[in-house]
Amino acid sequence: MNKLKFNYTSLSFLPILVCIPLGYQLINNIHFGGFKLFQEFLISAFNPKIDNEIIITVIKRLNETILIGFFSWLVSIIFGAIFGIISSNIFYKIINIPNFFYRIIRFFLTIIRSIHEVVWGIILMQIYGINFSIGIIAICIPYIAVNSKVFAEQLETIDYKNFESINQINAPKFSSLLTLIWNPIINTFKNFGLYRLECSIRSTVILGLFGIGGIGTSIFLSFQTLNFRELWTYLWSLAILIILSGLIFKKIKFNTTNKILSIFFIAVFFITILFSFSYFLYFIFNNNFENFNSVSSLFKSSSDLGLFDFLKLILETIILSLLSTGIAISLPPLVIGIFNNNSSKIFIKIFAFLLRLIPTPVILLTLLTFNNPSLSLAALTLGLHNAGITSKLLFTNLDSQDKRNYIAMKSLGISNKTSWLLGLFSQQAKSYLAYCAYRSDIIIRETAIVGVIGSVGLGWQLQESLSSFAWQEVTIVLIAYSSIAIVGELINGKIKNSLT
Amino acid sequence: MNNTVLELENISCEYKNDLILNKINLKINSGEKIALLGKSGSGKTTLISVLNGTIKPTQGKVKLFNESFEELDRKQKSKITTIWQDLRLIEDLSAEQNVNCGLLAENNFYFAFKNLLNISSFKKAHKYMKLCRLHNSIYDKKIGKLSGGQKQRVAIARSLIQESNIILADEPFNNLDPKLITTIKNLLLENVDKNNRKKSPKTALVALHRLDLLNNFDKVIGIRDGKIFFNIKRNNLKKIHLEKIY
Repeated sequence: MNKLKFNYTSLSFLPILVCIPLGYQLINNIHFGGFKLFQEFLISAFNPKIDNEIIITVIKRLNETILIGFFSWLVSIIFGAIFGIISSNIFYKIINIPNFFYRIIRFFLTIIRSIHEVVWGIILMQIYGINFSIGIIAICIPYIAVNSKVFAEQLETIDYKNFESINQINAPKFSSLLTLIWNPIINTFKNFGLYRLECSIRSTVILGLFGIGGIGTSIFLSFQTLNFRELWTYLWSLAILIILSGLIFKKIKFNTTNKILSIFFIAVFFITILFSFSYFLYFIFNNNFENFNSVSSLFKSSSDLGLFDFLKLILETIILSLLSTGIAISLPPLVIGIFNNNSSKIFIKIFAFLLRLIPTPVILLTLLTFNNPSLSLAALTLGLHNAGITSKLLFTNLDSQDKRNYIAMKSLGISNKTSWLLGLFSQQAKSYLAYCAYRSDIIIRETAIVGVIGSVGLGWQLQESLSSFAWQEVTIVLIAYSSIAIVGELINGKIKNSLT
Repeated sequence: MNNTVLELENISCEYKNDLILNKINLKINSGEKIALLGKSGSGKTTLISVLNGTIKPTQGKVKLFNESFEELDRKQKSKITTIWQDLRLIEDLSAEQNVNCGLLAENNFYFAFKNLLNISSFKKAHKYMKLCRLHNSIYDKKIGKLSGGQKQRVAIARSLIQESNIILADEPFNNLDPKLITTIKNLLLENVDKNNRKKSPKTALVALHRLDLLNNFDKVIGIRDGKIFFNIKRNNLKKIHLEKIY
């Protein structure tokens, strides 16, 4: 008997097996109590509420969202680049500082990155109270660390020979450094900036669900009052904002040969740094630390969390991450492969856009209308939202791919689905899996959001501990979260390296 | 008077347990034009990398102006310039920006910044690009858009603009047509051109493959398997020498 051999194509579909246990639990948990609500939710998508009052609210809320999203993006992309430089090995090679510092900085950035912005938001809200700037700071903290990783990875790709060449000219160290890193930094900003702006807006919306402000807060309030028509007005306006921001960003040409534009970008760069520092100092010295009496309370507060319960929560979080990742990896190629015709493609693209657009807590609350809260439901929510993101990437790659193999296979009489699988997808499978490895890092972090709403995993425990100001529990949960995320990042890093 | 500018004392270089250079002793005097011959993989590039300080030898000492290379400061080290076999140009920068990179050693951080923003002066860069017979239509073109010969000349212009006392060149005539080879060879080896427009490096060590390019050189060094087989005046070079290294 032949041994079963795995290749990248089959590995892309294999994780769909998670649907077996997931489906079993979901079917067992079905209830029809909220089916009518679900139906109403769907119908409202085609009939959003449009009147003067709501338009004024939309404009006001979108303004807040844009402000929080844009400023957190600007600050996090600039500081991300700075931290990316000082956490890349090229910096230490040129400046001649021991690699020891580089490892310390990377370690701290990994810890900061491992905690989701919602968690940072909830913690900061507990300490400082609800505040507009909390949203910006909560997004900036993990985003700076995430962006720094991307910038650092790009800087690692600098050809060592170029480094030797510039080094041999014996220029001042910072001149050599700037000359070598300039273009990788600009290119990363060009290729990655728009995506991060979109992420920033999404994070602002999610933080809004937790009361920070902006359109997220309106979405949550209209969901709570079951006003679905209003909810869809907010969602569609958010969709327009994301599409428009993408179009505007694409129009801006980051042409470094244009002197005026270059000077403008440099000015923005330095003003942002100066403003961020001054604001940070203002924030520190002008806050009352409402609920956070003193650091010592962190050690005084007791923890009621039993070891067994704690381990169970960790296990739940890991299972939640694995199940969601399975869906996010396999669902897009499976659906695109099965419904492989032009009209279906348009429908899948719209559906994927909606999955990306609707914040995960809203997806979860909607699914709760016909299913009891469970780990599977949380996993399905997170999986579907991330499948929306992975499918976007897959569509982009497939659309730009050379289709000669696919056409040749079809001309041989091979079926449409098989031709798609072998002639198109098989060539993308490796890079697709590499991206999914990166995506699974994010999924681990996002378990915090669905955990809070869906009563599963460490996310739920964190919310509980924060609500009761049990700082010791908060610390333990955060350490556990970071540990899972760091281990996950290490494993995914290995997988990604073996795939690229 | 001792006019040795570069000296290798008992240099050995190992890479992954392979001996790339084996106990090499070499003295290069001021003003000498030396051709370095040897087949591919004989150690020519490694020898050049040791001479310019890019590779630290496993054993032995490199001296520049009678001082240990490691003890020299940045300004002193910048008296050597190198033309790499693989050119090592920055692909995302334009041809003139790449040539201006050669001026980084004598300028401050602000110059590097202006060069990247394209707002620095390219007067000197253009002068050397012109000497290398580069047409002004390619000055602002990105390296990726240039032909092999154009890239080669940009790399040469970047080295010449440094106006260093010593030039090390690793097969600098690749990708060039015969007419250009003569021009570039004159630029590399002659002190001052006919119109007294440039100050060329005084000392040159050039790794070569083509024997017909040996005129204008004072000395010839033959290298094989990381060992120097001969180090003689060009006029004394005979077939028997070449048979030892090829």
